[in-house]
Amino acid sequence: MTAPLQRAIFWILVGFAVLILSLPMVIVVGASVTSGNIIAFPPEGFSLKWYEKIAQARDLQQAFWRSIQVSLVCVAVSVPVGTLAGIALSRYRLRGAMALQVYLLLPFTVPLIASGIGMMLVFGEWRILGALWPVGVACAVINLPFIIWSVSASAASLDRDLELAAQNCGAGPIATFFHVTLPAVMPGVITGGLLMFVLAMTEFLVSLLLTDARTVTLPVQVYNNIRSIITPDLAAVSTIFVVIALAAVWLLDRLVGLEIFLKSK
Amino acid sequence: MTDVTGPEGKRRYPLRWHVMDALEGAAGVLWPRRMAPFTGWLLLAPALLLVAVLVLGMVQIAESSLHTLDRSTFLPSEDYTLENYRTVADSATYLKVIWRSLYGSFLTVVFTLILAFPYSYILVRTNSAFTRKALLVALFLPFFIGQVVRAYGWLIILGNAGLVNDALELIGVERQRLLFSFPTVVFGLVQYMLPFAVLLLAPALTAIPREVETAAGSLGANWARVLWHVVLPMARPGLIGATLVVSTLSLTDFAMPAMLGGGSQDFIANAIYDQFFRTADQGLGSALALLLVAIGSLLVGAIFAAFGAGTLAMGGRE
Repeated sequence: MTAPLQRAIFWILVGFAVLILSLPMVIVVGASVTSGNIIAFPPEGFSLKWYEKIAQARDLQQAFWRSIQVSLVCVAVSVPVGTLAGIALSRYRLRGAMALQVYLLLPFTVPLIASGIGMMLVFGEWRILGALWPVGVACAVINLPFIIWSVSASAASLDRDLELAAQNCGAGPIATFFHVTLPAVMPGVITGGLLMFVLAMTEFLVSLLLTDARTVTLPVQVYNNIRSIITPDLAAVSTIFVVIALAAVWLLDRLVGLEIFLKSK
Repeated sequence: MTDVTGPEGKRRYPLRWHVMDALEGAAGVLWPRRMAPFTGWLLLAPALLLVAVLVLGMVQIAESSLHTLDRSTFLPSEDYTLENYRTVADSATYLKVIWRSLYGSFLTVVFTLILAFPYSYILVRTNSAFTRKALLVALFLPFFIGQVVRAYGWLIILGNAGLVNDALELIGVERQRLLFSFPTVVFGLVQYMLPFAVLLLAPALTAIPREVETAAGSLGANWARVLWHVVLPMARPGLIGATLVVSTLSLTDFAMPAMLGGGSQDFIANAIYDQFFRTADQGLGSALALLLVAIGSLLVGAIFAAFGAGTLAMGGRE
């Protein structure tokens, strides 16, 4: 970057972008520590009373644990499935690769509202609607391309000769997979798994469609409460999401480095 | 593993190896060597099955879109009819909603790209590791927080007694009703889409060597011309990928119109939801959903056909 004018324009735009990206978080965290009874920013004095309140709110707690369960189911389903698919896509020559791409990108190209309603109808037919685990499976379906991407990116950089060398030394296909291929794609698996967990944790629309009053997850609970009345306890709940996001970003940075997302393909 | 090659007759064979042998044996029986050409498909099978749930769902939607709601029994009709599609086509309300979604999605793409391009550019080109890290964290945090919480934050900020109105009052401008308007929904979509756009743009910018820009500059091009004639064309895969994702996600979004639009700025997704959960007219809702899928696919197909998949391709091979 040489021209000062370009510098100035770009930094102004970036500054604005950073502002609109971070402001909601800052406000939510700030509003959660107010000692007043209405949402206000800057908060009126400091207190943790709203955290006390949500610690006692059973519906919020239960919704939180349900969200955790949904995320765990999502990870349990998507990680093995996505890992195998990611390896298959980058290590094997497959007929009709273009059609495969289109098919496996369906979770992204089909609008969430349609995927959600479609699965609602299918799960209703299968009589599993109203249980919690199908919500996790649904989250795995709609976010599957994320983990396939991250695994296939890792797999593409694995030297094919390493697998051949292992087989040359007498390792069978299973041993080769567990001792050579899997360790090599592990960064992709971990990144993908983390993404799947957090995305399932914050998934809103599909949860809204697949849950009922007895199985609402935390984002849906927050949404329902916002529509009734906005009190600072919601800000405290939202702060939980901020903390989860902070932990996820920190973990992601420690495990693979955030810079990995800047690499060109 | 050195203990295996002990003196003759004293070989120890670890349990793990027995397990592995058993697994290899089982694999050999279940998946004999002559099946090797299909191993790729075997590994893909679970993913194909999982996505099949989605396809089944589409079939179900298509099926139920062909039944009208019987107003006397509140059950779907027995016979197949295209009545629901006719209802949508004849309805001025739905055409307005569809138009609003398309227009909103177009505006979102434009504004998101305007913000995402310099963001990715600085992210990729900066020499400061700290700046890069800070920009990355600012990008990932909102991505991981989820739509509901972010929309909630904006409700507080843009509310009638919110931060923006406080600031407006300070500089002597009358308080405005900011929430529940079309520009606010578009604004919400832009800030929601920004991380997606940057993450799809940045890899394309990384692929452009710095020297190319320097060379263009030393040949006399000013920064605007370098940008227009060198950087933007070379960033094309990223721009395509970002446009694809941002346009389809914002066209089909539910949460931002629902929360920041407050029911007055519905997009197609909100109309579908209302048909299913307010009016309980599953047939009409399904017809709308299928229509949305069609519009979305047309959009994706058009961009695909014209420009290719850009940075959106999976599996490293194009």
